[in-house]
Parts: sequence; C-alpha cells; structure tokens
Amino acid sequence: MRTIQIFDPALCCSTGVCGVDVDQALVDFAADVDWARQNGARVERFNLAQQPLAFAENPTVKGFLERSGHEGLPLVLVDGDVAMAGRYPSRKELARWAGIVTIGVAPAQSACCSDSGCC
Amino acid sequence: MRFLDHPPRFLFFTGKGGVGKTSLACASAVTLAEAGRRVLLVSTDPASNVGQVFGLAIGNRITAIPAVPNLSALEIDPQDAARAYRDRLVGPVRGVLPDAVVKGIEEQLSGACTTEIAAFDEFTALLTDAGLTAGFEHIVFDTAPTGHTIRLLQLPGAWSGFLETGKGDASCLGPLAGLEKQRSQYQAAVAALADPQRTRLVLVARAQRAALREVARTHEELAAIGLSRQSLVINGILPSGAAQGDALAAAIVRREAEALAGLPVALQALPVDKVALKPFNLVGLDALRRLLADDETDATDDDGAEACAFDAPALSSLVDAIAADGHGLVMLMGKGGVGKTTLAAAIALALALARRGLPVHLTTSDPAAHLAKTLDGAVDTLTVSRIDPREETERYRRQVLASKGAGLDAEGRALLEEDLRSPCTEEIAVFQAFSRIIREAGRKFVVMDTAPTGHTLLLLDATGAYHREVSRQMGGKGLHFSTPMMQLQDPEQTKTLIVTLAETTPVLEAARLQEDLRRAGIEPWAWVVNNSVAASRPRAPLLRRRAANELAEIDAVATRHARRYAVVPLLDEEPVGVARLLQLSAPAGTGV
Repeated sequence: MRTIQIFDPALCCSTGVCGVDVDQALVDFAADVDWARQNGARVERFNLAQQPLAFAENPTVKGFLERSGHEGLPLVLVDGDVAMAGRYPSRKELARWAGIVTIGVAPAQSACCSDSGCC
Repeated sequence: MRFLDHPPRFLFFTGKGGVGKTSLACASAVTLAEAGRRVLLVSTDPASNVGQVFGLAIGNRITAIPAVPNLSALEIDPQDAARAYRDRLVGPVRGVLPDAVVKGIEEQLSGACTTEIAAFDEFTALLTDAGLTAGFEHIVFDTAPTGHTIRLLQLPGAWSGFLETGKGDASCLGPLAGLEKQRSQYQAAVAALADPQRTRLVLVARAQRAALREVARTHEELAAIGLSRQSLVINGILPSGAAQGDALAAAIVRREAEALAGLPVALQALPVDKVALKPFNLVGLDALRRLLADDETDATDDDGAEACAFDAPALSSLVDAIAADGHGLVMLMGKGGVGKTTLAAAIALALALARRGLPVHLTTSDPAAHLAKTLDGAVDTLTVSRIDPREETERYRRQVLASKGAGLDAEGRALLEEDLRSPCTEEIAVFQAFSRIIREAGRKFVVMDTAPTGHTLLLLDATGAYHREVSRQMGGKGLHFSTPMMQLQDPEQTKTLIVTLAETTPVLEAARLQEDLRRAGIEPWAWVVNNSVAASRPRAPLLRRRAANELAEIDAVATRHARRYAVVPLLDEEPVGVARLLQLSAPAGTGV
C-alpha cells in the first residue's frame, strides 16, 4: 500500500476568514480522503500553520516551498515523490495512487456544480 | 464592600479596558492582606501598573510586596505570552522555511484569540497547581478569560482532530495548536473557574447605559458556563455633591443616576457595590486603601487642580481635510464603547453639510438603531443605512455551518460552532456586509462606524477571500484599483480614524490597533480622542482633576501615536439628533 501525503496550505481557522464560498473543494476533498481511508488507503495530511515542522523536515516539501512558495500548495506526495501540486486530487486520482479498484466510483458527494455542469 | 464578603480562593475581575479592574484588584488584595490573609495578586493587564502602584518592579515571577505584609504579586504580559507561544510553534522552522511562509504562519497566530489563549495558558498553573500557590489563601486576578475561551477549552473536539488523528477536515484547531500543557490541566482549570466554592467573578463597569448592557451580557454568558458566583462593582460614580453649578457635572450625575435606575434585569439579583470617583490618582498604598473606603468623597475639596489650559485641534479640522477630497471611504475604528457610531454620524453629517451636493452614505452597526432613525432624511444628501451585527453574524454562521459543517461529525461541528462565536466572526460578518457599500466610495463619501482589524485583513488578503468578496460585490464594474487591499492602504481613497478615550488603557488599546493596521500596510490617518472632559473645560473640582489627568494621555496621542488628531468634548447632553451632532464637529470655540 502506498502512502499518500497531502501538505495543505495554512488553512485558517474555521471561523471562516477564508470566506464562506471557498471551501467546497476542501469539504469535498475531506470526504474523498475519508472514503479512501475506508477503502484501506494510507492518507496523511499536514497543515502549514499547525505542523510547520513536517514541512521543514521533508526535503522535497521544503524544496517545493522554496521554489513555489506557499501559494503553490497543496502538494501531494505519493511514497515521497511529488504526484501533484496546486490543487487537490480527485477521488479517482486518490484511488489510482492507492490502488483501490474504482469500478463505479461515485463522484465526491455534493459535486461542485450539479446544475451548472462545470465538472 | 459586598464583593469582598467571605471571599473564595479565587477572585477574578472582568470588564472593559479602562473601567478600573487593576485598581480594584490591587485595592482588594491590599484589603485582604491587611485583614491578615495571605494574598497573591496576578495582573494580566497589558498596561499593568501594579509595579508602579506599589513602587517596585514585579514582572513575571511571584514577588513579595515589602510594604504590605502577606501580599505578593505577579505580572503576566499577555503580549509576551502570545509571542512565546508563537515562538514555540514557529521557532523551529524559522530560517528553515522561506521567510514569507514563516510570516504567514505567524500572522495566523497573531489574533486576539491567540493572545487570550496564551495568557490563559500562563495562569492555568495558578488555578491547578496546589504546590505553586500553597502559601496563599486568596489569588486575585485583574482579568478573567472570556466565555469563548472557556467554552473552547471545554470542547472535546478542540483536542482531537488535526494533531491527534491527522484528520484534517475543513475545520482546524486554530490557536489551540500551540498549547503546552495536558488537556487534563485545562479541564482542571476550567473546573476551578466554574466552581462557586472556589471562584467569584467581579464584574466591573461604569454607570453608563451601554456599558451596563454589555456587562449584563458578560454576566449571562459566564453564568451559563458555570461561573455563577458573581458580584457587580459600579466604579467611578461622580458624587452628586460634585455638580455645584457645573452644568456638565450635573448632567453626568443625572445620566449616571438614570443608568443605575435602569439597571438591566439580569444584573439586579447580583450583589452590587458602588465606588465613587476619587479626587486623587490611584497610585500608592494610601490611595488604594481609600478607594474602597465608604467615606463620602469631599467633592468640593479643591486642592489646586488648575483650570487647565486646553488647546487641541477640534473634529472640524479633520472634517475639513476629509471634505477637500470630494469622495472616499472613512472608517472609524476602536474598542466598543468609545463612541465610534456617534463620531461617524457627526462626521457624515458635517461632510454632507460642508459640501452641499456631494452625497454621503453613513453606514452604521449601531445596535440601538436610534441614530439611523434620527438622521435619515434630515439632510437630503445624506443616506443612512444600518447593518445589524447580530443578524449578519447569524446569517454568516448559518452559511458557514451549511457549507463547511456539512461533512463534519458531531465533535467537529461543535468546534466549528464555537469557532463561529469568536469575536473575529462578528468582525468578518459585519465587514462582509459593509463591503457591499465600499464600492460607492469612488464617487461619494462613505463613512463606516467600524473596520476590520489589520490581522483580519491580512488573513482575508492572504487567502484571497477579500479580493473575491469585493470583486463579486462590484460585479466587474465600478472602481478601478489593483486590489481591494490597496484601496484600503491608499490614504487618498481610504481614511482610517482611530477613536479612543483620554485614559491610559484605552490609549494603549488604540495604539495596539494601530500597530495591527500598520502590519497590514494601513497607516491610520488620524486619531480622535472622544468624550474628553478636558475639552469641555469643566469648573467642578472633581472634573477638573479628571481633565488634568487626561492631558498626559492627549499629549501621548498628539506626540507619540497620531499623525494628526482631534479632541471631542464630553457634552452635557447625549449627542443625538442633527443639532447636537453638529456641535461635535463645530470649530473650536464656537460650539460648546
């Protein structure tokens, strides 16, 4: 089983200084992570504001921050290698990395735009 | 004094900055110590003058006060505590991660909530470690944690989640992440606070209607989480004997009597003590002993407080400078109770009249709403709109709970709900509502009686949320500026006025607001010292002494803090309605 590590930007407190309209992607992703874990995937998340040491101690992540700054986050590592940066992976991508068989995988709950069709 | 009857082990004083918590705490500690009890006095007042009061340096260690047998004191600076707290979290990565990243993390931990939690962290041991305080029968604190902090520490959800399980959902721990001690210790501390056998909470307020309403809310909030043993002290009452033909003093005496007669129902069941305004400064042991003495203050005692020469710019000078620009955003900022709403109204009204034809939009969060009513339609170029902070906050809470709360379990949801009760939430919700109006500032004057702190702006800006919010409100048309943050940073477009009172703690709090705005690249345009007794040129001796005390504070504002400033006199009548509001901005020497 591969280990998927997600290095989140400094997620601000849930009081919503991030604004109320921005976090659907995060909410969906949290649900996808839950789903992946239930299917046996090993997924770890780190928040820059609360676990800065985890960022500093990983040379790949540290190097990424030096090149791209915190604006480049989130960063996704699979078994320590960069798999994706700048956006959260979809449920499908998580499944692929974790080796979960994905026949008939439903999209993340509350798909971002059920009526506008942007997905 | 009823609040000192059968005192329990812990005494906490709570109230707004400048109401006299530290003086009362000092006087109580002296009284108890002189009655033979062994007392520890703990000050977490950022403006702590406990050392000065007793004439020695104290600082962050328990120090015996030689002049008072049985008394020791300890000063905890909440800003230092917050800094130490940030260093614990950020220190290990400083110089390792890029500077911009480190700065971002530090900003997240620079809000008021972090400061409060850090201070609580510091005095937790005083409530729980019997060994540390074994030598003392009473521990007197000159501040108390807020309901929000206590509730947060009580929530199991605050302690699981991110760090323990790495769950990392849309919610996060915020300032609790850097707490050092074990959860069980915080639980024990909260249990001590909520135990009426061990803890008494002394609410301190001035005899003012709005202040008493606010204290009633604090009372109910803290009673609801178990701090049921409470007492109320009304401090600084002007003795009726002080009026003596001085119209201002007579008006204050009358207003205070009315406020006391209309004491909110929630407070009526509490033991109440009234402490008169004293004709001396509360420095030194003798003064502290006399603070709680029952003797009627000799209000006529005129020991040479000179009718002070007073010369400071009036509000009109600021209004003229603002009017010269023809349009722009004017934001008033300051702690609750300093008179932001009244001053915003006075400025808006003066602008509308000074520049006929130029429209002015006054937007206020005045909870009483009577201001908007008296002004709306009074002048045809003045529009008044009102934002109800409670309504906006409630709407915002519902929105966040619906979007972010949907995927959370029960514990996570409880934590999110508590986070949404933080002071920041109201600030953000109100500012969101205001931001709908900000776009008008390109062609008219927009005067707002509130503003977000620099900390909030930085976080909003860092996440891009503020930019999105304003762009959405503007719908692609309207003002031309690079970013909304730049609009607030540009003194041509936005003028931020810091409102304060001519007293030590309020000036210190205002200076802190200014530092916070500067961190966000916003230079406050001016300071306004409101309700100044000195500017009213009183005759009654007690008021003259208060006026003399104000001068040092006004001088600090003029020389140390403000680029430009104005002083607004305390009026005989509450400034309601067009005529009285205009008095506030009348050129010096013509109005009052």
